[in-house]
Amino acid sequence: MISMAPDMSNKKSSIIDLNNLQEQQIALRIQNLNLFYAEKQALENITMNIPKGQVTAFIGPSGCGKSTLLRCINRMNDLVDTCKIDGQILLHSQNIYDKSVDVASLRRKVGMVFQRPNPFPKSIYENVVYGLRLQGVSDRRVLDEVVENALRNAALWNEVKDRLHDSALGLSGGQQQRLVIARAIAIEPEVLLLDEPTSALDPISTLTIEELITELKNKYTVVIVTHNMQQAARVSDQTAFMYMGQLIEHADTNTLFTTPSKKKTEDYITGRYG
Amino acid sequence: MKLWFKSGSPWVWMTAGAVSVSLISVIGLLLLIASRGLSYFWPADIHQFDIVTQSGANKTIIGEIYEKEQVPTQQLVESGVLFKEAQGETVERFLIKTGNREYVDLDFQWLLTTYIKQESTPTGLAVFERSKNGNFYGYLDSIVQDGKVITDNKNELLIELIDRAVELNDKALDLQNGEIGAINYEFERLRLKQRKHELDGDLTDQIKLDITAQRDALQAEYLTYEKQLFEYRNLAKRDTVIVKDMRGELVTLPLNYILDVIFPNDMSTIEKVGQFGKQIGKFIVDDPREANTEGGVFPAIFGTVFMVMLMAVIVTPFGVIAAVYLHEYAGNGAITKIIRISVINLAGVPSIVYGVFGLGFFVYMFGGSIDQLFYPEALPGPTFGTPGMLWSALTLAILTLPVVIVSTEEGLSRIPGSLRQGSLALGATKAETLWRIVIPMASPAIMTGLILAVARAAGEVAPLMLVGVVKMAPTLPLDGNFPFVHLDRKFMHLGFHIYDVGFQSPNVEAARPLVYATSFLLVSVIVALNITAIGIRNHLREKYKALDH
Repeated sequence: MISMAPDMSNKKSSIIDLNNLQEQQIALRIQNLNLFYAEKQALENITMNIPKGQVTAFIGPSGCGKSTLLRCINRMNDLVDTCKIDGQILLHSQNIYDKSVDVASLRRKVGMVFQRPNPFPKSIYENVVYGLRLQGVSDRRVLDEVVENALRNAALWNEVKDRLHDSALGLSGGQQQRLVIARAIAIEPEVLLLDEPTSALDPISTLTIEELITELKNKYTVVIVTHNMQQAARVSDQTAFMYMGQLIEHADTNTLFTTPSKKKTEDYITGRYG
Repeated sequence: MKLWFKSGSPWVWMTAGAVSVSLISVIGLLLLIASRGLSYFWPADIHQFDIVTQSGANKTIIGEIYEKEQVPTQQLVESGVLFKEAQGETVERFLIKTGNREYVDLDFQWLLTTYIKQESTPTGLAVFERSKNGNFYGYLDSIVQDGKVITDNKNELLIELIDRAVELNDKALDLQNGEIGAINYEFERLRLKQRKHELDGDLTDQIKLDITAQRDALQAEYLTYEKQLFEYRNLAKRDTVIVKDMRGELVTLPLNYILDVIFPNDMSTIEKVGQFGKQIGKFIVDDPREANTEGGVFPAIFGTVFMVMLMAVIVTPFGVIAAVYLHEYAGNGAITKIIRISVINLAGVPSIVYGVFGLGFFVYMFGGSIDQLFYPEALPGPTFGTPGMLWSALTLAILTLPVVIVSTEEGLSRIPGSLRQGSLALGATKAETLWRIVIPMASPAIMTGLILAVARAAGEVAPLMLVGVVKMAPTLPLDGNFPFVHLDRKFMHLGFHIYDVGFQSPNVEAARPLVYATSFLLVSVIVALNITAIGIRNHLREKYKALDH
C-alpha cells in the first residue's frame, strides 16, 4: 500500500487539546447542526469547537458537506431558498441563527473568500475599501491607511502600490485572490472563511497564498476548506474530516494525519477513496 | 455532390448568402433614400427649351429637368398626340419644374422631346428662392433700388440688396417671435390670472386695477414693438427686381419675398457644391413654409429628438425598477411567470392601440383631471387635457417599456453569482449589493434596452398622431417664456412630417423629393441617437467588463 499521507515531520504547531478547550480559546461552537436542501439532508448532527487564532481545515471527498458547513458559519446558505437549518452556531455565545441577529453585521465579523477570485469591476483601491464604504467610512486618510495595511497583510502591497487606481480585473489570478483576501481583512473580521481558495490557482500563487494563511492566523481565526490533503497538512493546526454529511474526526493536524482514530479517516488519507 | 453536401459548404453559402441579401437591401435602401433626397439640394442646370406645340405655336419653357421617362408611343397616339414623323416604340418625355407658380397653371409640366426645337442652358438665368409661391426662374432685367432703376453690375447689387432684405426680415421675425411673442404670452397669463381670481371669488377692485395697469403697460410696450416691426417690414419692401420670365414678359418681384438668388448655369462645380451644402444647412435649420412643401424641417427635428429624449428619461427608471423587482425580489411563482409573459406580449401590441390608450387615459382622464385641479382658469380651453409633448413621451414610454424590462432582466441574470456573494460576504445587504455592484454591472444591458427603445420610438408615428403630433406647430416646446419647457404643447415630428408631405400635400411633385430628404434625415437622426447610446454602452462595457470565468 502506497501511503498518500503527507510527511508530517517538519510540522510545528502549538498543540491544543480539542477536548479540553478553555472558553476564551473557542472562536466558534457548532452544536447539533443539521442542514437540509429540500428533502435531502446535507449535514448530520455536526458538533465541533473551532479554536481561536488557529487554522482549522475541513477535508473530505467531494459532496461531503465541507463547503456547506463553512457557508453555514456566515449564513451564506440563506441565499439558497430550499435550505433549512436546525441546531446552533455560537459566536461569542450568541447563536448566529437567532432571529435577533443582523446577517450583514454577522458577515462583517465572519469574512469569506471564495473558490474563484471574485474582485469587483472597480479599481484595486475601491475593492479594498468596499466593506468600509458600506459602513459609511469616507475619510480619505482612514481609507488610505486601511488599504495599505490590508494589502500589506495580504502580501500584495509591493506589487500593486503604484497602480491602486487601476482596474482590479487587470491583476493575475493569484493577485486577484490575494486582493479578495485583503478586501475581506480590511473590515477586521474575527473569523476568516476560505472556501478552497487555491483551487483555481497555479502552484506558485498557491504557495504564496499558503504562506499568507500562516501569517493570517496571528490575527484571525481561519477556517479553510480544501480538497488537497497536502495543503491541509501544510497550513492547518486542526483538521476535521467529513464524510457524507457527517463529521468523522476532528483532531490536531499531526494526529489526524499520522494516527487517525477512525477507519474512514485512515482510508481517506491513504487514498482508498475520495 | 453528396460529399459537397456533407462538407457543410452549402450551409456556409446559404448563411453567407442570407447575410449578403440583408446587407444589400439595407445599403440599397439607404442609397436610394440618400440619392433621391440629397439630389433635391443640388443646384441643377436650368434649361431653356424652344418648343413647337401640336397646334404649331412657338413657346419657350424654362426650368429644371426633374425626371425623364419613356412613354409608349401607342399610348400617346391614343390620347390624341399627333406625330409628324414616325416614332419608335417609345418616346421620351421630361418632367420640368418651371416655377413661377402665380403666372402658370402648374409649376410642373411634362414635355415630349419631339416638341423640342432647341435646347440650351443659357448663362444669366436666375433662380429666385421666394418665401411665397415657390421658385421663380427668369432673366434678370433690372433692379429698382429705392425708386431708381439700375442696370449696371446688377448681379452683385442684387445679392447685396437681397442680403439687406433678408436681414431686415429676420429682424422682423425675431421681434415677432421674441419680444412680441413674449408680450402675447404675458397677456394670456394676465387673462388667466384675472379669471382665476374671478373663480376664487376674490377679484377685488384693487386686483382688477392692478391687472388693468399691467395690461396697459404691456399694450404700450406692444405698440412700440409693433411700430418697429412695421418699420422693418417697410424697409424690406423698399427695393424690387424686374425679371423677364419664360413668356417674355417683365415681372416685378418685391425683394422682401426673396430669400436667395442663384445663377446655376454660371456656377462652377465647386460653387455648386458650396450651394449644395448651404441648401442642406437651410433645410436643417429653417422652419417649413408653404404648407410644409418648402423650407426646412427644424421644428420636426427638434420635436423628434426632444420627445425621444424625454421618453428615454421616463422609460429608463421605470423599466429598470420593474426589471429589478421581477428578477431580484419577485420569486419564481406562477404569478411572476404570468407577469413576465404579459410584459413580453405587451411588446407585440400594435402601436396604434397604444395611441388610443394614450388618448383615452393620459390625455382625457389624466390631463383632464390636471386641468380641473390646477388650471381651472383656462377652462374650457384645455391645458394638459389635449394632445401634447408630455403625453406623447409617456405613451411611447409605455410602448417601449417591455424592451427595457426584458433586456435589463437579461443583463441582471448575466451578473456572476460570485460577485453578489462577494459583496454579501463583506456585510452588504441585498439592496446595497444591487446598488453598488449589480446595477452598475448591468448598465450596458440597460443601455442596450434603451437603444432598442429609442430606435423604436423615434420611428413611431401612428400613436403620436393621436397624442400630440401636428402638421404645423407655431412654437417649439422649449422657449424663452417662463417656465421655458412647455410639455403641454403640441409638436412636429419627422415621421409625421414625411406622412404629411407625402400624402397631404397640395403639390405632389414639389413634395416628392422632400419625402426622400426628410426620410433620409429621420434615418440620420435615429442613427445619430443610436450611435450616441452605443458609445455610452461601449464605455460602460469597458468599465464593467465581466470577469473571464
